[in-house]
Amino acid sequence: MTPTPTAAAPTAAEPVAAEAAPSAITLTGVTKTYSAASPAALQGVNLDILPGTSTAIVGPSGSGKSTILRIIAGLEDANGGRVRLAGRDVTALLPEERGIAMVFQRPLLFPHLTVLDNVAFADRAAGLSRAQARDHAREHLELVHMAEFGGRSPHSLSGGQQQRVAVARALAAKPSVLLLDEPFSALDPGLKDDMHAMIAEIRQAVNPTILFVTHDRDEASAMAERIVVLENGQLLQHDTVDHVFHRPASLAVARLLGGKNAFAGTIENGVHHSALGDVALDGDVASGPATLVFRHEAVTSTLRQPTSGADADALATRHADAAACQRFGPRELHGVVTSTVQRGPRREIIVRVVDADVHTEAAPGHPLSVGDLVTVSLPCEALWAVPAS
Amino acid sequence: MTLSTSNVDVDHAQRIQHERRMPGDAGRPLSQSRGVMRTARITSTALMSLWFALPFLPLVLWSFANSWSAPDLLPMTLGADGLTAALANGAVAAFGDSLLLSLIVAAIATPVGAMAARALSRRTLPFGRLVSVLLFSPVLLPPFAAVLGINVVLLRAWVPPELGVILVLVVVAIPYTTFSMRVAYAAYDDGFDEAARTLGATSRFALWRIHLPLIAPALARSAFLAFLVGWSDYLVTLVVGGGQLITLPLIIASSASGIGNESSVAVLSLSAVIPPLILLAFVSRARNLNPGKQS
Repeated sequence: MTPTPTAAAPTAAEPVAAEAAPSAITLTGVTKTYSAASPAALQGVNLDILPGTSTAIVGPSGSGKSTILRIIAGLEDANGGRVRLAGRDVTALLPEERGIAMVFQRPLLFPHLTVLDNVAFADRAAGLSRAQARDHAREHLELVHMAEFGGRSPHSLSGGQQQRVAVARALAAKPSVLLLDEPFSALDPGLKDDMHAMIAEIRQAVNPTILFVTHDRDEASAMAERIVVLENGQLLQHDTVDHVFHRPASLAVARLLGGKNAFAGTIENGVHHSALGDVALDGDVASGPATLVFRHEAVTSTLRQPTSGADADALATRHADAAACQRFGPRELHGVVTSTVQRGPRREIIVRVVDADVHTEAAPGHPLSVGDLVTVSLPCEALWAVPAS
Repeated sequence: MTLSTSNVDVDHAQRIQHERRMPGDAGRPLSQSRGVMRTARITSTALMSLWFALPFLPLVLWSFANSWSAPDLLPMTLGADGLTAALANGAVAAFGDSLLLSLIVAAIATPVGAMAARALSRRTLPFGRLVSVLLFSPVLLPPFAAVLGINVVLLRAWVPPELGVILVLVVVAIPYTTFSMRVAYAAYDDGFDEAARTLGATSRFALWRIHLPLIAPALARSAFLAFLVGWSDYLVTLVVGGGQLITLPLIIASSASGIGNESSVAVLSLSAVIPPLILLAFVSRARNLNPGKQS
């Protein structure tokens, strides 16, 4: 793993070609324009999804996340490009011929059918007898812990229960690919956690290929091992969860995933120079303009010890000609707390270091307040440089 | 049972609890009137019911009155003279023709209106507004002028009068069916059809198993309106039908124009009122299964 600003191409980090299995989903050059007046919803998207994996598509509203899903499902036609499922070109096929199933943000359970018959719908559509379809439906209801609700009418269920049934109904279609379009975004946080646990159970039991859209970064990392980042119809990065958070391909990806620390500057001999001072980077980094990024969650602030008297400038000088971060241990910066925000159990601290604001977290058990002098420690693994935008 | 499912149950139980009003909750339910307002509401409901029901009272009395002259409050002699006269006037055949005509009009105008409404509700239709205006124009035109004009065209085109009546009444009924189906489609969630298709249903399977059951109550209401157009029509049947088609409104009008036919007119009028009332009872019993657009 060589963290250079140029090594950030979406698939460079982990070559897909090394694995032999054919892709479950392959998009090549998929474009979509809704009207001549509006900008393209998707601009030449290429995407490869391996079978049995779970992948999240994240991006801001209007980035084309749902459009990708709808094009794979056949609910929208692409203006250009091909869609392949398990190697089969399905671009011209109708939704019912593609062997996919989709769960929408709304449960969309058919109100005139019982819960059991909702789940039996796919088998009935495939021509199975009512008895056979219901037998299969019972198995799938068990999978989502809704077995005892089979005889109920959908409107008698709560929102979370309805969405469980919707997932069971989709699984009963035995899809090669399960598409989920913001399936749990209408549920409250506790229920969401239950749903994530349910998806994990389903993956253990039937191991479907899952592609889902979410605007929730936590949900993306809880349910998927890979994340696709989309903005303005362009695929910015497709990588592992860890990489998109800590090794973003661009400043845009870092920002979209909630990265708060970005310092424009230049790299010379493996050291990044910016308003923050000089920060040594690990590995063989190319010289030139680059933006230093790191997650605030990975950086802690602690009250400055009276004994460590050296100020930020002095430390910066000490590191000025350093070639690598690891040799010196974590980079320490000194600054003043300018604001604090409590987020659940975590406390976000903004620290003024020289001329730059650094977003950090307070170490557990260290209550910090505005005006405190603190030491910010930057672990080597958290540091990353992206090409200057 | 796992922990997760029991959480789901708690959520549902809480939701039910929220529907109860607890002491100290702000405001009061808007649908519950009290005191003077309550009295006024009950009184006005009673008066409205009376206003609707009162005309039927003399109709019912007349139907069984063999003679009933001015100063008397009630008929002097009761009997079935009215019924006999009505039957002699061809009431049964007219009833059958009316029923057939209305059912044919409903059977054509309802699916046409539904399809038009579906197309208009999708907003992708070119010149959608113009199409709307054209569909609604039969309601806007003065019927007498339109019917006399169209009659000349139909006669010149050698259209059989029965077919002509059906054609014209279908056109008159389409604005009503289109309008009522547009209201239904405005509340319809296309997501149901999409969900069905992604589950492997062909468009035909999704139409019969999902779409039609969900819009069935709206279709019934729409068909009821179209039925009424055919059932209550007088002008089109008289002018375009040219005497070939004798429906109930036609023999009611001809009986009413004579003298001393009050009891047979009453019998005919009651028989004209009963079928729509029966249909209305069926239509309003149809359970609305479409939960509307889900948020």
